[in-house]
Amino acid sequence: MVSAGELLLLAGLVLAVPAKGGFSQTNHLVTAPQTTQFLEIGSNFKATCMIINTTEVTADDLYWNLAETTVSKELYTKLNESAISVTIPVTSGKSQWLYCKAKEEKSSYVYLNTGKFIYGVFLKKGYPPGKPENVSCVAVQKKTTISSTFSCQWATVGRQTSDVPTEYTLNVVVIHSQNYSVSTEGTHAQVEFVDTYPHFMNLEVWVEAHNKLGKIESERITQDANSFVKTNPPSDIKVISEKDFPTSPLMNWTQPIDKSYGKLKYEIRFCAIGSPNWTYVPKRDIAIDIQSFRLQSLQPYTEYITQVRCQLGDWSDWSDNTTTKTAEDRPTSKPDVWRTIAEVDGKNERRVQFVSKDPVFANGRIITFDIKIQEQKNDNLQWDTILVNGSESSDGQRVITVLKDMLLADLRPVRLYVTASNSVGKSPMASLLILAKGHEYPPVKGLKVWSAEGKLWLQWTPPNGSEVSEYVVEWVSGDQTDWQRENKHTRLTAIKGNLEEFVRYTVSVYSIYSGRIGKPASKEVYLKDGAPLEGPVVRLNDKPGRNEAELGWVEIPLHRRRGFIIYYTINYTGGGETHEITVPGNTTSYTLKSLSSNTKYDTWINASTVRGSAQSSTHSFTTLKYAPGEVEGIVVGVSLGFLFVVLMTMLLCVYKKDVIKENLWPRIPNPGESTIGSWSPDYPLKAETPKENCLSGISVLDVDVCDGKSVFEEDKACLPLKKDKYLSEEHSSGIGGSSCMSSPRQSVSDSDEGSDMADTTASTVQYSSVVASNGYKGQTPNPHPQQAVFSRSESTQPLLDSEENPDMMIQEGSRQSQRFKQENPAEIHLLEMDQQQQQEEEEVESLDFCPLDEESEQTNPSEGQSAGSSYMSQREGYRPQ
Amino acid sequence: MNGHVKSMHFQRFMETATTLLSLLLVMAFDSSRTVAASRNQQCGNSVQQSLKLSRLLQKESVDLIKTYKASQGEMSELFCKVPVNNVPDPNISGLEPSEKIASIYSHLQEFFPHFKWVYEQQTDLQLPTSPLLSDLKRFSAGSRNLAVLINNFYQSLFPNVPLPEGGPTTLPPPQNVFQQKVYGCVVLKTFKELLSNVSRELRSLKSQVCRRRTHTNALF
Repeated sequence: MVSAGELLLLAGLVLAVPAKGGFSQTNHLVTAPQTTQFLEIGSNFKATCMIINTTEVTADDLYWNLAETTVSKELYTKLNESAISVTIPVTSGKSQWLYCKAKEEKSSYVYLNTGKFIYGVFLKKGYPPGKPENVSCVAVQKKTTISSTFSCQWATVGRQTSDVPTEYTLNVVVIHSQNYSVSTEGTHAQVEFVDTYPHFMNLEVWVEAHNKLGKIESERITQDANSFVKTNPPSDIKVISEKDFPTSPLMNWTQPIDKSYGKLKYEIRFCAIGSPNWTYVPKRDIAIDIQSFRLQSLQPYTEYITQVRCQLGDWSDWSDNTTTKTAEDRPTSKPDVWRTIAEVDGKNERRVQFVSKDPVFANGRIITFDIKIQEQKNDNLQWDTILVNGSESSDGQRVITVLKDMLLADLRPVRLYVTASNSVGKSPMASLLILAKGHEYPPVKGLKVWSAEGKLWLQWTPPNGSEVSEYVVEWVSGDQTDWQRENKHTRLTAIKGNLEEFVRYTVSVYSIYSGRIGKPASKEVYLKDGAPLEGPVVRLNDKPGRNEAELGWVEIPLHRRRGFIIYYTINYTGGGETHEITVPGNTTSYTLKSLSSNTKYDTWINASTVRGSAQSSTHSFTTLKYAPGEVEGIVVGVSLGFLFVVLMTMLLCVYKKDVIKENLWPRIPNPGESTIGSWSPDYPLKAETPKENCLSGISVLDVDVCDGKSVFEEDKACLPLKKDKYLSEEHSSGIGGSSCMSSPRQSVSDSDEGSDMADTTASTVQYSSVVASNGYKGQTPNPHPQQAVFSRSESTQPLLDSEENPDMMIQEGSRQSQRFKQENPAEIHLLEMDQQQQQEEEEVESLDFCPLDEESEQTNPSEGQSAGSSYMSQREGYRPQ
Repeated sequence: MNGHVKSMHFQRFMETATTLLSLLLVMAFDSSRTVAASRNQQCGNSVQQSLKLSRLLQKESVDLIKTYKASQGEMSELFCKVPVNNVPDPNISGLEPSEKIASIYSHLQEFFPHFKWVYEQQTDLQLPTSPLLSDLKRFSAGSRNLAVLINNFYQSLFPNVPLPEGGPTTLPPPQNVFQQKVYGCVVLKTFKELLSNVSRELRSLKSQVCRRRTHTNALF
């Protein structure tokens, strides 16, 4: 149903539009409302569209678009044939246009004049303003008066949109006087009072928030103007430390503003330097409008920071720090005595060092420690005074003073008494009893140590059945020792000393039984661990083998380790492959196996903590080609084999002597046993044994050219197998004793060179001339004396090689030497006969020549000449060869 | 019998009336106490504020005179000793509190044109940045605030009775520089004297008026 008001509105609109003379001439649609609308998000908005000055369309042809979206027809309300309304919910989002449009397909006129059949309303969405809250104002001190600038701030409530911004108006009324107001879009503003701040006058202050959707005021504040005043903090603050009142210094200050502005309240706070918390003097203890105050219950000889602030209306800022040290007082607590014990090697003694910290309440600078040590019950003790240099720790920790170093027998207890003194007086006495070794009280149980929140925490269970009076928590790093005491009820505590990260601490808990120290329970721990700074130093423990190598490494120095090494990773690469082996953290050596021989390996080790790892430098080694002993084995094996072969050969020679002899040295008829030999009946064949041949029966001719130096070397003649060459020489003279002497040729078996030489001289081989003479030594004269035969061989035929009959050659050689030596003509003759016979037998065989003979002959012609001088002329006929 | 009955009825009526009257009296007393307490508090606050401001202005007048003398050059000490006519009387007149308060108010009002005149004269004599000018301005504004507080005090004591405005103030004729300097100092000095008198009177009024009114209300 259309209300009467809407119809009235439309009627007015229709009448008003032509009066404006504006779009009525061009637009056939018009909406109500027409202009920009500010809408509250969450509300509904109703708009009406009416057709004017046309009959082309009716209300049924109208539709609404919200931006680009067509509004559902369910939200339309047809007012009459020419008017339609729509009610849309205002949702959150950007502002947008609401269009009333006519369907273009209704007629060609509409289609061609779409601009006349569209009308829009711009919808700006937002929220009504929220009530400003927490309005606070202040007027600050300026020089000696209060500034006339009055500043206020407040908090906004509710949401805002940029399309519907909220503006705030600060209203300040000086009651019965002036009013001030100022607007802003922010949350703070200030007004300027005329000429002066309205002291002692009542002010009414409020903030009004307003936008297109409404306005709202904050709560009104009506207060004395001075209640908004914020003065400067008190100045010239002095804290006077008095010797007679070491715990109650007096402080005074200058108030920031004249008393005529009002009486100021004060607040005082102080804290010891290094303390994180302020101690506030109760406000009820501070009178109004004062300029001095005596602090109480402070610690003597302690630096304190003090601050004051005042209040006229608002509290001023705190004053600057004022630092003062309270006066000294007598120490009021015992010195903190402790000890370190080190075992002495090889002796039943302990090295005990007594140390002490200043009393917790030293109340001054400790100048001396007075100690006495009681080793026996009835010792008449004298106090020893230990001067303290008085230096103070920079990190707030109490300084540790070494009181006494002593050697203490294991079975002997000792008690120490200590007092500490400052310039005012002496502390209560502390004592410490060290029991005989082995008589200590039981330790705490189940000690746990862990790191959390930058501290080391300890938890333990007290020992059974013992009255523990207190506990001492000790932590040691290298040669640094520190401790703290905990009361007997403590089960969980944190170390209060300055611990360093990445440093290993040995934390121990000692239970103390009325001054007697129990056994410690200890753990090693890091406050914070990290990756090692360096890797271990890698080396080979021994020379590498053929297929294995033993690696060893030195543990990382403790200060570089920075954590517990949980494992080492051994890496080695060689032959193109990289291997990785993980071993436990307590390992310091490892044997690499299955390595390739004669291969270079690079190896390195990663040391790992839970936080990371560090790599060592690379160590290289090369495996052996042969395993140790392998070469020796081969040599021994080969030697044994060789020995075996030699042995077998010797045995073969021994057992198969005849066969070998038969094969190698075939039996050659002994000339001595020949028929030729038999023609000399007196020839003692049997007697003329090799013995005679070798030694006594034969004399060597001095002109032996086979070996110029061997004229008297009968041994050579006796050792025909001494060496090949020698043998060759003998061989060369295989036929006839003159063969060696007469033949200028070298043995064929000697060398090729000799062979060449033989070729060149083969045509003119000149055999030595042998002169046979009568009467050999020891020989029976021939009944038919033969004439001396001079034979000379002019044959160009090479001599027969006598290698086939070495045994014969030896004999022959021997004989020849004898012949030359003795120059026995008869024997020579017989020898020639023999030679002739042999040559005949070996006619087809080639002969060897003695190269040395040739050389000797060539290089020593004089010797040949001298030898030749003993020969007779050889022209008288040679025996045919 | 009838007479006795009538007497009995009358007696009962009188008892009822007495009871009602007593009740009304109690209610009226309680109400008056509440109003008196409220008025007493208002009286105390306004006189207290007036008194505090008069003391503050008194202190500031001392500083202002020092500043004035310092900014007037040589012989400044003599300026304040020279008698000057046409400066309002610092003495407060009247016997009744209302008269005294009215006198305070009117005297304060009388000084304002003089302050303005002195400020204008000193504006010609001093540099614009001179602290004297700002101090004069602030002091003058404070004095006006004191007048407002006195008015409040008066209204708290005598509501619906307007304070009589002060009579026309006679400003001095045109003066030479020396006369201007003398005049300014005398005005400040006289006003300081007035403030001293005001403080004294306010203290007196605080103890007299506020307590007396409380006492009066209590009696009522």
